[in-house]
Amino acid sequence: MSAVLRPTVEDLRLIGFYLGRVLTGLGLLMLVPVPLAVVMREWNALSALVLGAGIAVTLGALADAHLRSRRQLGWSHGMVVVALAWIVGSAVAAVPMHVSGRFSDPLAALFEAVSALTTTGMSVINDLDHLEASMNLYRHLLQIAGGLGILIVVLALFSAGGSRVSTLYVSEARDERILPNVLRTSRFIARVTAAFGVAGTAALTVALLVAGFRPWRALEHAVSLFFSSFSTGGFSVMQSSMANYHAPAVEVIVMLVMFAGMLSFGLHHSIWSGDVGEVRRHVETRTLALVGAGLVVLMTFGLVRSGAYTDLGAVLRRGLFTLVSAISSTGHQVNAGDTYLSDWGVLAPAALVGAMAIGGMASSTAGGIKALRVALAVKAVVHDIRRFLLPESAVVVTTYHVGRRRILRPDVSRAATTVLLLFVVSFLLGTMVALTYGGIDVTQALFESVSIGANIGISIGVVRPGMPSLLQLVYVVQMLLGRLEFVAVLVLVGYLLSFARTPRRRRRSA
Amino acid sequence: MSAGGSAGGATGPAVPRRGRTRWALLGSVLLLAGLAGITSALDATAPRADRSAPAVADLEPTVLEAPIPCRRSDPDEVVAAIADRLRPGRVTAAIVVACPRLFDGREVVHVGEVVGDVLRRDGGAWVTLNDDPYALELGPFGAHRERAGFNTGLAVHLPDGTHEDLGPAGRYGRRGAVLRVEGVLERADAADGGGLTIRARTVEVLAPAVAAPVPVDPTLAAAAAIAAATAVVALLHARRRRRT
Repeated sequence: MSAVLRPTVEDLRLIGFYLGRVLTGLGLLMLVPVPLAVVMREWNALSALVLGAGIAVTLGALADAHLRSRRQLGWSHGMVVVALAWIVGSAVAAVPMHVSGRFSDPLAALFEAVSALTTTGMSVINDLDHLEASMNLYRHLLQIAGGLGILIVVLALFSAGGSRVSTLYVSEARDERILPNVLRTSRFIARVTAAFGVAGTAALTVALLVAGFRPWRALEHAVSLFFSSFSTGGFSVMQSSMANYHAPAVEVIVMLVMFAGMLSFGLHHSIWSGDVGEVRRHVETRTLALVGAGLVVLMTFGLVRSGAYTDLGAVLRRGLFTLVSAISSTGHQVNAGDTYLSDWGVLAPAALVGAMAIGGMASSTAGGIKALRVALAVKAVVHDIRRFLLPESAVVVTTYHVGRRRILRPDVSRAATTVLLLFVVSFLLGTMVALTYGGIDVTQALFESVSIGANIGISIGVVRPGMPSLLQLVYVVQMLLGRLEFVAVLVLVGYLLSFARTPRRRRRSA
Repeated sequence: MSAGGSAGGATGPAVPRRGRTRWALLGSVLLLAGLAGITSALDATAPRADRSAPAVADLEPTVLEAPIPCRRSDPDEVVAAIADRLRPGRVTAAIVVACPRLFDGREVVHVGEVVGDVLRRDGGAWVTLNDDPYALELGPFGAHRERAGFNTGLAVHLPDGTHEDLGPAGRYGRRGAVLRVEGVLERADAADGGGLTIRARTVEVLAPAVAAPVPVDPTLAAAAAIAAATAVVALLHARRRRRT
């Protein structure tokens, strides 16, 4: 029985059961910063986090008690569970944020939660610089959970076997199963994250101590910086983001962590297994190297030509960091957002838009269209041109390397170009809606829309507290579509529409 | 995980019950609306403590009425025209980032709260001086509940001999010292890798760092206790259902 065409109570029961598991996981995540809130005597943050956790765990436990089902997860269930998990999960994750009072309305709190979970990293929080440490840690925890794929992490923790949750794994915009089952894959992802976490946090702590931080604050910033950089989320502890540190060593370490975050976990596995040659052969590495080199040249030329920086060191430090931040989809900023518009000329921001749109690797924590799709779309175009140029009887075969050599089949190239086109439509939609408000020029509107739609987070000043509600809502939708790469959300829409269709059919038969 | 249970779908009703599916959907929407309602009510009932007194009573005027944006591609005449409108006073972060070229290499005055951390190195200390309403007018959020947007501030390098007695920087529950600095604004400070900074020459403490205590919200605490108790009951209920 297809869930999309004929959703039944049993379909909803199954979906609700898995959704409950996700909410329980989210509830437990909310409890992580609670000890910090107690130590720092942040009583209102403590109440907010316990309230959110209580609601999430209650809903999860009720689902566990009443919605258990013997049915197997189908593809449509998986898609709907994933889409709902991100929507409902974001709504529940927004509870502690909204009761903190720092957001103008529930939509603003939802925006912040979606931005955190989708690892976009744009914020509409009021007075971040006086925020509780525990609430700040919570924002960053949401990013790492969202970056790794909250659903799969939660389900892997709760599940004994991976066969039923494999549909969720793929539905959550992960193309590559690294190990034979999802549970082992999830554990590998956790191991990689832990290893980078220990090394990255230690290196950042030392660099921050050298930069003048006191030990406790160095550790607090290091942990948050690691979470937001490896998840390619981009939230910051202070409003001034990376400009707060004035420390090249911190910037270099953060760049390395962002770089690690944008690599696919499949590639991480190859490197961990000693197959370093895979890095050279992988189509995404090649694409990113090529595109990255071009963008570095464009960015450098743009900054030098505009006269933004006369010192080559400054060009590289500001330009390269921002470019890595953009293409990894992290969104850390070394400049105030408005200065990209007022001080960087035209070419450098254009290079940033290109980097943001492309994004990192598929099956990584990064957002954007993804290097794999760009590569496949280009290869498909080249394939078609070759077919026209060669004799009709010639058999044209195009291949690409992801783990092994694969033949580019029409359905694969069609899927890549379709998602690529949907991203472009999302960017244009966000731009159009922003332009209808006036006071925002096309450069700002396009920059912000690409940054939001590709889950990057570099802002040029459109996103701010008190922004128009409709634009905020459109950006929320863009962030979710970008993170789930459209398919799961579109399946959910189809699923919901199927409810509307049923009565008419029934009326006709009557 | 074994997802089998007494309420298994395989033995469920043969005829789909459409009404129940719609009620389930409606219930989900109502649940989300209820969540928004509860959190809004909790936000509305939070203690509305008085805002802090303005950190500085007689703040000097800003160099421009409002930020005037310029672009790097604008000809020098455009920037010169904005420069003609400058009046004596202090710069704000918003005015500077709207048109950094205008102030590059100029002597400026900036007033703001020290927030985050005082990073003592490089022959002085790096600080961020915020000049947003939380810094200069309302005080830190939490002590009051007025929302006034993002923080805005400028990076300032204070020379040795000027930063030793600043006290703790502004954070949760504390307003940092409010400083008035005079110095040269560097649009792309080579010593800071191209950062936009003020190299301060003189520093005056207009207001010392003070605590800004946050009142505990009893309604929120009660709601949290009820939610926690409900969660425990729900978990026990789920456990019992699993066993039976």
